[in-house]
Amino acid sequence: MTVEKLALTTTSPAPKPKSEGKADNALATELTRRLGPRKVLSNLAERLSYRFDAIQFGVTPLAVVLPESTEDVIATVKAARRAGVSIVGRGAASGLSGGAAPMQPSVVISFTRMTDLQIFPQRREAVAQPGVITLAVTEAARPHGLIYPPDPASFRTSTIGGNLGENAGGPLCFKYGVTGDYVTALDFVDAEGEVHTLQRDAYDLAGLLIGSEGTLGLITSATLRLTPPPRFTRTLMAHFAEVGQAAEAVSAAIAAGAVPGKLEFMDGACTNAVEDYLHLGLPRDAGAVLLVDTDGDDLDTVEEERALVEAACLEAGGHVRRAEGEAEAAALWQARRSVSPALGRIRPQRMNEDIVVPRSVLPEVVRQIRALGDASGLKLVQFGHIGDGNLHPNILFDPRKESEEAVHDLAHKIALVALRHGGVLSGEHGIGTMKRDFMRDAVDAETMTALRNVKRAFDPADALNPGKILPDETHA
Amino acid sequence: MNNDIPVRELGPQGEVMAHAVDACVHCGFCLPACPTYALLGDEMDSPRGRIVLMKEVLEGGLDLLDAAPHLDRCLGCQACVTACPSGVPYGELITSFRGWSEPQRQRSAFDKAKRYAILKALPAPKLFSVAARAGQYAKPLAPALPAALRGPLDLLPEHVPAMQPSPAVTPARGPRRGRVAFLTGCAQQALAPNFNAATLRVLARNGIEVVIPGGQGCCGAAALHTGARDEALRLVRANLDAFNPDDYDAILSNAAGCGAGLKEYPVILHGLHDEAKAQAFAAKVQDISEYLATLARKEGVEPFMPASRPLKIAYHDACHLAHAQKVRSAPRELLRLIPGVSIAEIPEGDLCCGSAGTYNLEQPELAGQLGARKAGHILSTAPDLVASGNIGCHTQIQSHVRRQGSAVPVMHTVEVLDLAYRGEL
Repeated sequence: MTVEKLALTTTSPAPKPKSEGKADNALATELTRRLGPRKVLSNLAERLSYRFDAIQFGVTPLAVVLPESTEDVIATVKAARRAGVSIVGRGAASGLSGGAAPMQPSVVISFTRMTDLQIFPQRREAVAQPGVITLAVTEAARPHGLIYPPDPASFRTSTIGGNLGENAGGPLCFKYGVTGDYVTALDFVDAEGEVHTLQRDAYDLAGLLIGSEGTLGLITSATLRLTPPPRFTRTLMAHFAEVGQAAEAVSAAIAAGAVPGKLEFMDGACTNAVEDYLHLGLPRDAGAVLLVDTDGDDLDTVEEERALVEAACLEAGGHVRRAEGEAEAAALWQARRSVSPALGRIRPQRMNEDIVVPRSVLPEVVRQIRALGDASGLKLVQFGHIGDGNLHPNILFDPRKESEEAVHDLAHKIALVALRHGGVLSGEHGIGTMKRDFMRDAVDAETMTALRNVKRAFDPADALNPGKILPDETHA
Repeated sequence: MNNDIPVRELGPQGEVMAHAVDACVHCGFCLPACPTYALLGDEMDSPRGRIVLMKEVLEGGLDLLDAAPHLDRCLGCQACVTACPSGVPYGELITSFRGWSEPQRQRSAFDKAKRYAILKALPAPKLFSVAARAGQYAKPLAPALPAALRGPLDLLPEHVPAMQPSPAVTPARGPRRGRVAFLTGCAQQALAPNFNAATLRVLARNGIEVVIPGGQGCCGAAALHTGARDEALRLVRANLDAFNPDDYDAILSNAAGCGAGLKEYPVILHGLHDEAKAQAFAAKVQDISEYLATLARKEGVEPFMPASRPLKIAYHDACHLAHAQKVRSAPRELLRLIPGVSIAEIPEGDLCCGSAGTYNLEQPELAGQLGARKAGHILSTAPDLVASGNIGCHTQIQSHVRRQGSAVPVMHTVEVLDLAYRGEL
């Protein structure tokens, strides 16, 4: 089975050996000998459990290491290198690009036990090991009057290491920036097992590591910037007859000078899926819903901004409702965070996208994507961080009834819509395996060569998370 | 989640399992909700990991024996169901899987004997009472006993009360406003007979006639959740014969685990001839707090006497009320009707206390860790009283708060209401 094919299937292509519950390969035995049985998972049930992320199943790993220190990571990298086996880093595997799913028999390093977290209130910084849960940073910082803004929808599950690997975003990132914008320093273990400490000055190698999906090195510690939370937040919901109107409202509001804290949208199918889950009384008949937070330290400005957004929504033909109180606002944001998984209610499988387009072309782009979906006969839904032009069209399908080729074809057409409008393939999920094919359309030959040279400089043996981001060279 | 589960070979229960696996998008939103993931931190001991393992076993790619340790550690608390945006009926999956896999398991003679004893004693209140009383005398010997025996002894109260038989019919006091059937439960008749006595008093006081139909027995949940499907089917059918839903406004339980079990009957009988009968039955089942809160909202309940002093009640959400039955606000609403009562929310309130039916007996170590964690969180709210709606949680919490040196009273929600009616709160 080719890797291209893999991008669309969650069926493990690996053979399914019967196991006696023991390590059945020399590397697992060697790792167990070096690190002790507590830190190495080697029986089949254990290894099968570390071969997927939140979108894709990969190849069953040869062994899973649960390091408790940087030294454990180094020992694992060196042992794998000697054995000629590739290495895949993994956080909580809540990623949506296949980033943590191994593409060949590998050692998976699951960072979930490296959870040291220190808060330095005076420096307004946190130092986190990669296994720290994203939300835990804000929970630890809040007593000091600080927060860590990047807020991917999975922030109760996801880890800092995974967020760094994919350069994760979230609703707050429209105004406050993505994961990488909060990193002031990081430590990583390279393909040879050497540790390096990187700052953000020239050359900004830390910037290169962030979003590299574990293909250049394994991050073992990160220093993160913390900020005081805005004093005031106001929440607004608007609904529209169709997605294009919602996008018009967004373009108009931003053109008028509004910079909301969060500016999110979901189409009618998404709204119905989360309503089935949470029963909040969301407008089921609407073609699209916008959720907006305006925030800041000056209440007048926050309310002015909300008025700007309201006016833009009304002008575009929308209906507007202000959230009354924190509980209602919290419920609406829980609804937004639940959209992606709730789509499982519609079809068992999906191909998701993560395109970013200039805000000025949003109405045209969402309408073109809607039209492509309608013409395809497949179930296509759209939601995302529309404020920064980051859209998540998802094709929902049942592989037992619908053609995976047709799904792939539609996904490709959607990617091309983004690229034609001056957009990019990924805003926050990473390329992984899901969008790897489309890199040929997104990146010109010279740039692709430069990217390959970077990868070779860090990882000449292609041992770190192979089969991700860059398409196979033979196809180039 | 894509799968090749051979539904045709597995029959109606295969449909239930395949449907649950289909619905899972492996997003991982369930991970932070899972008690064993909180303790162990391994994917195999999370709901998502277990779904993958069950899928692999059903597809034939993994030996049951390899998956079993992780599946056995599942408490069945269903906190993952609350956390799951894609609507995976995880409870139905694990229950069906246990029913399918148990006949294939090879267990040690000791394990078999223990399971047999549990499944025989639990549904027979008199036998259970005798065992509990005997256990009471063995309590001082506990430190010298093996862990498997020590667990259950630790949970026994210092004093096992005498059983109080419940009358077949308790008439309404004053004009009759309703007529309900009541499932008396098993363990609680022996361990906490006042639960039922208080339930009957509170209902009668509100003009509700309570019938305890003869021929009823154990709800079957314990058998079902340990994979003894045939035994469960026998118990389920006995109850379907004993309770005619047309005769009552509602069929009530005051034990979260039993109520959840009763509501599960249509799933247990899915594809069998009496599925429709089970649906009619389950449609009438309500937890006591659900029924009383609805009454309070619609017609009002008899007013409560105020508490003798301001009373902070830590309300513990039993998993089988909050997660399995989605009953969260009803008990809180009822307790708040008592003048002087305030409710303290317990940190990590969604996390299981570790009791979980027979879990205490099957996985004493993890159950103990969860119990201690829960007791610590409860005591951190400095409560005057702890209330919950399930006998399993009740004994577990009582045992663990005592171990942490607290004498705080632990009660069933309906006992608190009863005391308030009597002016004794």
